[in-house]
Formats: sequence, structure tokens, C-alpha cells
Amino acid sequence: MIDQLQFWAVLLCLAFGLFFTFVSTVGVLRLPDVYSRAHTASQTDTLGAGLSLAAVALALGWESTTIYTVLLLFFVFLTNPTAAHAIARSAAESGITPLTAEDELESETPDDGTSAPGDTAVNAGEEGGDHA
Amino acid sequence: MAAKRVLVPLSDTVTVRQTVGYAVRAALEETDTVEFHLVAALPYDAAVPEGRSLTEDAEQLLTRTENWVEEDVDDTDATVEIETAVVGTNEYLFGPRDFAEVFEAYATSHDIDRIVLDPEYQPGQTAQLIQPLEREFDALGLPYEEAPVDRPARHERLIGGGTERFDQLFATFWISYGFYLILGDPTYPFDLVTGAAVAGIVSISLAYVTFTFPLGRLRSPLRTVRFALYIPYLLYEIVKANLAISVVILRPSMPIEPVLTRVNARVRGGLPLLALANSITLTPGTLTVRADDQRLIVHTLIPGARDDLFDGALERAVRFVFHGRSGARIPTPRERDDTEIIGGDDV
Repeated sequence: MIDQLQFWAVLLCLAFGLFFTFVSTVGVLRLPDVYSRAHTASQTDTLGAGLSLAAVALALGWESTTIYTVLLLFFVFLTNPTAAHAIARSAAESGITPLTAEDELESETPDDGTSAPGDTAVNAGEEGGDHA
Repeated sequence: MAAKRVLVPLSDTVTVRQTVGYAVRAALEETDTVEFHLVAALPYDAAVPEGRSLTEDAEQLLTRTENWVEEDVDDTDATVEIETAVVGTNEYLFGPRDFAEVFEAYATSHDIDRIVLDPEYQPGQTAQLIQPLEREFDALGLPYEEAPVDRPARHERLIGGGTERFDQLFATFWISYGFYLILGDPTYPFDLVTGAAVAGIVSISLAYVTFTFPLGRLRSPLRTVRFALYIPYLLYEIVKANLAISVVILRPSMPIEPVLTRVNARVRGGLPLLALANSITLTPGTLTVRADDQRLIVHTLIPGARDDLFDGALERAVRFVFHGRSGARIPTPRERDDTEIIGGDDV
């Protein structure tokens, strides 16, 4: 009974870990610019790695090596935001302007008819593509 | 030719004498009439308990420096005027930007031509300020130069006397010993002995590097306990944010709304700020792009994450870890008007 439970718990953790890693990959591919991609890249490290390591810990059971997985997770949690911040900051330092909702909103709802909304929207999209 | 006006920000460092000497030499090479402005900036409001003694220290430093300048000028035939000032007495200066702004205000009102900086400049009891300060000067467009000085190699950072040293040694020893035993086997005598030896070496050589601030015998362990309470909360926030972001990413229409925001955090100092900025980045949906003192520039991906950020739950939790339960009872950033949505160009 306990073995059965442990098996399914490990499987569940692994499945969800893989799921979040998958979502993160999809996010990196779909999101428009470097800043928004950095958001989703951290998903792999937090829940992806977190749940996979939880699965490892469950599979190992109550052993001294189980502590290592907790330590591993701790260090991942320390290094992941540092790396994400370093990427975002260096992007900002090298002058990459984040694509913000304002740009999109402005181009979607022009307050007067003088500007050509279609052009600006296309430009904003291209800009984001260049940076990424 | 009009008098040249030189501003020298001062703090009590090992290189302050050389900096003053250089400022005098460099200025006199160019012109014979120089006005020296010797300025000490106080990090704290003069009304704080130690304010009076801090102001007196600063004034003593200024008198000393004034004498040095006179000494250096004595054997030349230049006309030199010296003005001294203590600035920042009516406000708290938290970080490089505040200092830069104070000096900029001074420079503007006194028509300063050049600023000579001490490479070891360190106005507060905290860390060195020179690099971030220079960045702020660049941003403000103030011309400055760093004085070339010989400095002695910096050894252990000395803070406090015997008991504080003992506390640092004690804490470092048990932290490293504990870590060693976690990796090793706490029941194996060999590991116990080697661990003690390693922890002894580590604590003697690294205790002063590990803790650059004085430890409280009650406060520091208490913070560790509260930090342990904080971790499950952070995990909960991470799971919540992960689910929200995953839903957005997997929707075919991908309704993201990236917005750059500025939040002035009511969290101060190195470690608390690090904890807050890292926690913000760790939760998907919010990403710290710049941490400029308490001014955090945060990129937010979806409106939900932005609302959470403006509600300041993480900020309160970090304040709880470092200042206890009463410290956590503060208004949200939104309520105290410390939030701002900024355009993409302001990064």
C-alpha cells in the first residue's frame, strides 16, 4: 500500500515537473522579447526542477542522500533569480527597450484618426522580434 | 581667469589625505586661484540619536582637511579659498543616488567646476559607495574624477570588539560545521573530527568576510527561524504564479500585458533587499530588471502578477523575516503611492 502510494506520488511529481518544463519551453518560444522570456525561463528552475527533485526525494525515501536534493533545490532557488536578473539587467544596460502593453494599446486604440494604427502595431512587433 | 571651484566629498578613510593632496596639486597645476569646497555628507538625519556625534565627527574631519589644504598650498603662491560644509543633515541618505543628488545640488548652487572623488569614499557604516556613486554622477552628467592614490591592502573588515568577533566566529563555525555534517555522516567519528578542523579553519579565516554586520544574539537566530517560516510561503507564491503564467502561455491568444513598473520598497540594506528582489524574480510574472537601492524596476508580464506586486505581500513577508511581526504591518506599496508604471524607455 505504502509502496503503491510512493510510486504514484513519484509519478505525479515527475509528470507535473515535466509539464512545467514543457510550458516554460513553449513560453520561451512564444513570448515576444527577452524580458518576458526571462519570466518563463525561471519556471523551469522553480517548479520544473522543484517537482523533479521532489520526485527524486520521494523515490529515495528517508535517506541521508535525500537531504542533498533539498540542498540542490535551495541552491537552484538562489542562483536562478540571480541569473534571471543578470540577463534582464544586461539587456537593459545594452539598451533593449522592453515591449510594453502601452505600445500595443496605443496602436490598437488610436485616440485620433491621424496616426495609422496598423503601421505602429507592425513596427512594435518587429522591434520585439529583433531584440529577441 | 575666474577662480576654479573644486568639490571634494569627504569621509574618514585611509586615503582621504592623499585625495585632498591630489585635488590641491591637480587644481594648482591649471590655475592659481582656486576655491576648495570640502563637503561631508551625513547619511542620517541629524535628529537621530547618534546624529549629534556624527555631525561633530564630520566637522572635525572638515577642520582636519582644511588644515591639510592650507599645508599643501603654503609653499605655493596661489590664492586659495576654502569652504567647508556638512550636507544631508535634514534628510536620510539611503544610497548612491541620494548622495549623488545632494552633491549635485551643492555643485549647482556653488557653481562647481570639477569633483574629485576619494576611491575609498564611504560615508555610511555600510559598504563602499564609489562605483554606484560614479554611475549616478554619470547619469546626472556631473564631471568627476577619481584621485589616484596608493592604498594599503585591505585586511579583515574590523567591526566591533571582542564579543562581536566571538559571535561571528561562533556563528561561522557552527554553520560550516553543520553544513559539513549534512554532506558527510554525523555518526561517523572521522567526519566529526575533520569537520571540526575544517570549520575551525573556515571560521578563523572567513568569519569577517561572511558577516560584515554585527550579529544580535537573539535577533539573528530569530531571523533564521522566521526565514524558515518564509520559505513555505514563498513556495506557495511561486506555485500560484507558475499556474497563472502557465495558463496565459498555453492559451492560444496568449493574453500577456507586459508593463514596466517602479516600486519603492520599504526594505533597506543589502540582505533584505537581496531577499526581496530575488523573491520577486523567483515568482514568474515579475522580474527585477534593476535594483537601484530601494527603487526596484520590475518587469511584469500579466495584470495579476502586477496587482500582487503592488499589494506588496512579498515585501511584507521579507519585512517580517527581518523586522518581526510589527515590521510587517505597513501599508501596501499601492496605498503609500510607491508604485509607478513607467514606459519601456526608462530602463
